[in-house]
Amino acid sequence: MSTPTRTRDEIAHTVRTAVADVIGTEPEEIGDDVSLVADYGVDSLELMDIGARLEKALDVHIEVRDLTLAETVGHAVDLLEERLRERS
Amino acid sequence: MTARDTARRIRVAITGIGVKCPAGTTLAEAHGTVLAAKSTASVVGHLVEADLPVPFACLVPPFDEEAYVTRREARQIDRATTLALCAAADAVSEAALPADLSRDRVGVQIGTGIGGLPSMEKAALDHGDRPIDMPVHTVPRSMSNAPASRIAMRYGFRGPCSTYSTACASGTTAIGEAARRIRTGELDAAVAGGVDAAVTKVIMGGFARMRALSTRTDAPHLASRPFDAERDGFVMGEGAAMVVLEPWDVAVARGARVYGEVSGFAENCDAFHIVAPHEDGTVAAACMRRAIADAGLRPADIVHVNAHGTSTLLNDRAEAIAVDRCFAGSPPPLTAVKGVTGHLIGGSGAVEAVLALACASAGAVPPVANTTKSPEAHLVDLVTGAPRPVPVGPVLSNSFGFGGHNACLVLTPPN
Repeated sequence: MSTPTRTRDEIAHTVRTAVADVIGTEPEEIGDDVSLVADYGVDSLELMDIGARLEKALDVHIEVRDLTLAETVGHAVDLLEERLRERS
Repeated sequence: MTARDTARRIRVAITGIGVKCPAGTTLAEAHGTVLAAKSTASVVGHLVEADLPVPFACLVPPFDEEAYVTRREARQIDRATTLALCAAADAVSEAALPADLSRDRVGVQIGTGIGGLPSMEKAALDHGDRPIDMPVHTVPRSMSNAPASRIAMRYGFRGPCSTYSTACASGTTAIGEAARRIRTGELDAAVAGGVDAAVTKVIMGGFARMRALSTRTDAPHLASRPFDAERDGFVMGEGAAMVVLEPWDVAVARGARVYGEVSGFAENCDAFHIVAPHEDGTVAAACMRRAIADAGLRPADIVHVNAHGTSTLLNDRAEAIAVDRCFAGSPPPLTAVKGVTGHLIGGSGAVEAVLALACASAGAVPPVANTTKSPEAHLVDLVTGAPRPVPVGPVLSNSFGFGGHNACLVLTPPN
């Protein structure tokens, strides 16, 4: 099965939407430099929730290590872009 | 010196009340609806769609939930926890506990009969085929102690945080247990109450299969009629009520508004049948008498009775026999607010305790909604038609749960 190629913008939009849904805000509020832990106090369950949403939206498996590794939203998008590229 | 009751225990004051129930989203509003004996039952769309034999219930009217719960928190909690948190927020804000009160000495004591089953029902229906896709927060949302824990978390109350499950008596149990912890000096304050929000197709279907629910689908507002000859079952309701309890003297000394006193509490169990009450009413009568004695009172001191009165034949008949036994043939006026509110399961005991206290404080016993002619009229002094004026004085509030749980509170208005 071929995987649709996503642009970085598309991935970033998906990430911002997942984060915004979980922390109860709007995607526009979630910039690349936002830190989920420092800026929003996201707890481990919320992080798993964000991960579960991304796995579903992007049809990709995300390791717990990757979720905790990402320090900012921009970093998370970079990691996802890399994982998706590795897969295709 | 600390005010002690006749048994030299610390007296327990109610200094905050929060209500989110079908009769209203404030105590004053709910009190007004109950005095007007106005039923809140109506047809519920999603129950009709599910093709249930009982497509109606009593729901909490819409209110501004966003004033209490952020969008972020709302995503993680279910309706029962939301209603409990909103009611608790009202009670805590009204009580305005002193800032220097140690949070280690404040407890949370909550009763729920159904707990998180509605959330687990939804998870099973939505994700039963692929459980791996269920929401990450499914477990913390559906655990039965979620309401209590969320209240403790919000305010940083680090005292004992317990959840009681005695079915339809759960809210009464929780208030009684909280009062006990204040009385003994274990706690300096407690948030206590009950909640359930179980108007879902599977849970309603379960109660309907037992034929416990009224099937008066052509006239839902006439369905809940406790003690009436034409009753045919209870009407499911949802909602919560929470109180803040404190030692009486402390509350008075700091100038808090004191709604009244939790003066008596008793519990026991029929140990007879998993859902039916014992028809001779002896165990329930003993529970009432013990609660009254616990308040240092005699049955003749009770000014009115808030009956459990579910509008099921088995409950109402057994309760009437028990009341007759307790009061030895001279019962005070009796009402049952489930004619208005429906049956809130774990929420009912708490909602009724605060409504009973409001009615006792106002010296007016509300009429039972819809009830006109009762086969139990020779056993109880049923208030029907219009509110009955009574002297301001102690009220006995009964709750009886599936499983044989009996729980009774005595609430006394301030002098």
